[in-house]
Amino acid sequence: MRYALLVLAPPQASAVHRAAIALCEAAIAAGHALPRVFFSDAGTQVALDSTVPPGDEPSAREGWQALARNHGVELIACIGSAVRHGVLDADEAARFERPAATLAEGFTLGGLGLLVEATAAADRALTFGGGAP
Amino acid sequence: MKATLLLMNRAPYAGTLARAGLDAALAYAAFDQSVSVLFAGPGVLQLAPAQEPAAIGRKSLRRLIDSMPLYDLEAVYADSEALDRHGLAEDDLPAFVTVLDPAAQRELQDRHEHLLAF
Amino acid sequence: MALPPLDKDGFLRDSGDWDRDVAAALAVEEGIALGDAHWEVLELLRRYYATFDSSPAMRALVKYCRQELGPDKGTSLYLLKLFPGSPAKVSARLAGLPRPANCL
Repeated sequence: MRYALLVLAPPQASAVHRAAIALCEAAIAAGHALPRVFFSDAGTQVALDSTVPPGDEPSAREGWQALARNHGVELIACIGSAVRHGVLDADEAARFERPAATLAEGFTLGGLGLLVEATAAADRALTFGGGAP
Repeated sequence: MKATLLLMNRAPYAGTLARAGLDAALAYAAFDQSVSVLFAGPGVLQLAPAQEPAAIGRKSLRRLIDSMPLYDLEAVYADSEALDRHGLAEDDLPAFVTVLDPAAQRELQDRHEHLLAF
Repeated sequence: MALPPLDKDGFLRDSGDWDRDVAAALAVEEGIALGDAHWEVLELLRRYYATFDSSPAMRALVKYCRQELGPDKGTSLYLLKLFPGSPAKVSARLAGLPRPANCL
């Protein structure tokens, strides 16, 4: 089975991110493919390199980075949402003349086409942090 | 092709999630995907006519929704109970929007492989 | 003429700065001499923005041209000849619209 994930919740909604990461790990451990997670709206803020969660709370960003490192999962932040939420790679920082790039390692900015492509190839698509059906 | 249903559940201007959902819907349509949109819960307020969000420095989501047919996106639905709850009538909606009761919505969901909830 | 402030991609920083002279000067930068056919599309784009509060992606632009200007002009080839390269982006720039969503 092949999965695609869309994450919409801000990193401060830590339970949502923990649940999403746990699902990814469980799916991969069970032998399923999960090549890409797409972050949109406030979800893109998890790709901010400049947030500082309290030292005694796990960091959602680091959880995702570990998933990318250990399992080769591609982490894409929607470029349109990202720039609105202060998440800039070097190119966007230059384009909008902002003082610094803020995109954390392991994340890439990309267009919505990458979400479309991921769900089109997936057997299961899951949203985390959107309105419940 | 996987049929994808996008569920629009959020009021239009509380945050930016409603806009993110509409942008995703237009992207699925622009990439020639089989895509439908269902407005439900407070999300039906995105369909309300005569929105004047310029007063709060935002752009009108209703006007963006009005452009959906130009993306060949006309499989657009609204939950009848949510419309009632929010005081909207069928006449208030864009002409291409179809009103569905809960049973018809379950059938709609069954016709789609993927559900993305905004 | 001196151009009003532009962003790094050449779009107007303030859409209120747009007028026909600005459009013509932006077109020169693109190597385009604006004729009646160009103006027809630019005016259509401004109408699109006023109606839909957004800049069209290519697909919507083509369909809107077909609806408003007829089948001969509602093709991507027609728009590509008028605004070479990336017609939706170039024409939005000349019409003083915000850049089409870069997510698309």
